[in-house]
Amino acid sequence: MLTRKSCLWVTLALLAFLVLSLPVGAEEKIIKIGSLYPMTGRPGIYGLDSVDAAEMAIDEINSKGGVNGYKIQLINTDSKAKPDYSVMVAKRYITQDKVNFLFGVVSSAVGLAVTEVSKQHKKIFIGTDHASTQLTTDKLQPYYFRVSNNTFQSMAAGAKYLKELQKTKPWVTIAYIGPDYAYGHDQWNELKYNLDRFGVKYKAVGEYWPKLFAPDYTAFISTIINEKPDILVAGFWGGDTVAFIKQAQPYGLFSKTLYFSPDGGGNYELMAAMGADLPEGLVLSGRHHNNWPDTELNREYVNKFFKRTGRYPTYAAEGAYTGVYAIAEAVKKVGNPDDTEALVKAFEGMKIKLPEDPEGFTSYIDPKSHQIVQEQAIGVTEPNDKFPPAKLMLGKWKVYKAEDLLPPADYIEQLKKK
Amino acid sequence: MKTPEAIKEFGFWSLFFLIFGLAPILDNSEYHLMLATHILIWGMFAVAFNMLFGVTGMLSFGQALYYGVGAYSVGLLVRGFGDTWFLPSIIVGLLVAVAVSVLLGLLVIRVSGVYFTVLTLAFGQLAWQVTLKWYHFTGGDDGIQSIIPPGLLGNNRVYYWFTLALVALSILALKRLVNSPLGLTLRCIRQNPERVRFLGRRVRRNELRVYVVSSFFAALAGCLMAGADNSIHPDMFYWTTSGEVILMAVIGGIGQFFGPFIGAAVIIIIQDYVGARTEYWSLIIGLIMMTMVLLFPQGLVGEIRSLRTRLVSGERNRS
Repeated sequence: MLTRKSCLWVTLALLAFLVLSLPVGAEEKIIKIGSLYPMTGRPGIYGLDSVDAAEMAIDEINSKGGVNGYKIQLINTDSKAKPDYSVMVAKRYITQDKVNFLFGVVSSAVGLAVTEVSKQHKKIFIGTDHASTQLTTDKLQPYYFRVSNNTFQSMAAGAKYLKELQKTKPWVTIAYIGPDYAYGHDQWNELKYNLDRFGVKYKAVGEYWPKLFAPDYTAFISTIINEKPDILVAGFWGGDTVAFIKQAQPYGLFSKTLYFSPDGGGNYELMAAMGADLPEGLVLSGRHHNNWPDTELNREYVNKFFKRTGRYPTYAAEGAYTGVYAIAEAVKKVGNPDDTEALVKAFEGMKIKLPEDPEGFTSYIDPKSHQIVQEQAIGVTEPNDKFPPAKLMLGKWKVYKAEDLLPPADYIEQLKKK
Repeated sequence: MKTPEAIKEFGFWSLFFLIFGLAPILDNSEYHLMLATHILIWGMFAVAFNMLFGVTGMLSFGQALYYGVGAYSVGLLVRGFGDTWFLPSIIVGLLVAVAVSVLLGLLVIRVSGVYFTVLTLAFGQLAWQVTLKWYHFTGGDDGIQSIIPPGLLGNNRVYYWFTLALVALSILALKRLVNSPLGLTLRCIRQNPERVRFLGRRVRRNELRVYVVSSFFAALAGCLMAGADNSIHPDMFYWTTSGEVILMAVIGGIGQFFGPFIGAAVIIIIQDYVGARTEYWSLIIGLIMMTMVLLFPQGLVGEIRSLRTRLVSGERNRS
């Protein structure tokens, strides 16, 4: 048994570990980015990929001499996907670590809490991977910018896809399942709004709201099977998508109903986790695809990431990669990372060529909504083993124009009134 | 001559005012100010919780319910009627917490031991589920943001002094309660409820009293936290919040009145320090917890006290 003396040693060893792990500060011109990503649990892979991709972008920029003599530095803290903890860390970044930018965040609930800190401290927050439309509409504040698409853009593309689908495969009934928070609710409201806007006739037969990271979906699956909707729209992301599909497959859900998940459902994480078990014919999309668009820039980005980490990137990675380049671009324009108001102006309307841009299109940040505007591609799962361990990837792409997917002014007004 | 208890109390308050009174004047860091605010609020929450657990022997696993009630009263009223409602909403929050704790208290104190614990846990989780599912009223999993205290209180420094004053008064009130005849009855209930009954004291009524008092201060902690963080989230109702406050009490020492406060400070500092340096924060915190629980079962304050006793008796033996 441990004696009191040995426990003293354990405590001392722990303290020594903590003290030794203190970072050693260096005095040079740096652009400090404070990121918050979940590094553990179901959303963990989003955090790991985001940090790896952000560091990849930083290495690329720093190896070319940095930006205006500034080197970029990233500090990351596990957000635990918890809003209250993330608020504390964001405040520490600003007041203690003196970061120039807040960065990252996967869960929209954390995003909503952190944007509040950014607003109060007038510190720019670059959102790389949370999609709730509220952040760039009714909850928009001057210091927030998002470099990945929001749910409205995905759902507008989704509604267009469903409209076209009705011509080839007549469908009537539609049901929705998604996590019970802003991200999940926004998707369903926006899909219905867009279906109405594009004049699609449909009948909504059910909506189901499991909690984010719920371990078991079987009760929902049985109800959905009884309802027999033609289309099941899923608003899951991350491990939730994998868990739901794994649990629903034995019930034969996918042979009876078309599974449709146009925002976060088509993440490479799903293909990698399910391998050959992934059903064919699911209609999915994501914020970046490893096999679309087939451009030099995208191929190069995916290969570099693979060489660096030994795995192919999930879409979260590209958001973080974009965020770092956007910051570099803004600092280059302004000349320093400290003039917040000038940086805000630099981000507004910024054009930036990204791996996910198809030929002939360049992403840009809408100056009014601070939302990046991008093309959307929706695909169908089909055999493709070029990105192991995935055995199926998305294909049969349908691409939707960026300008057609932005929320109309009356929709934003409607949100603000709420 | 002063009793050791009085010396200890004097020691705590001198340290308390020395650290929390001088720190913001000597240290300019906004971040440390926020940490100190968190320690004060959690510290009060833990001391209030320990009134149930350490003093009366009732292990409630549902104090998060009242913490959440306080926070959501402030959040909902400020969102609905504007920030001028901040101070009145604290009073509303406290009244709601008292009303709820009387109603639930009448149910939960009918049982004791593990049944009491499970029942409090069940009600806590129920409140959490309701908050989570009532998306259109509570904001569900998004929580509520932009809870800014009005006027001068909007300044972090002023808010800190406001919190410090309320927390100091609350702990003082709780300390007086422990030293009062009611406090004595509560300690007797912990040791032998049957005997208390034979002595002509009502066990249930006193248990209800302390349950309401503890819940009142848990709600106050929630109200203050809403203003400190400017945003709230349903996780404030979740069992992990109740669990955290139990850990704080255990680490600090449940047998000591001020123990849980010290426990809260230690946990918040460790969490922050470790979380900032490694993503294996949970492992480190787990190890520290394990070391504490296995080797220092009396908690930090309890162990320091027994160490002192041993040293003193050692000296006496030598002389």
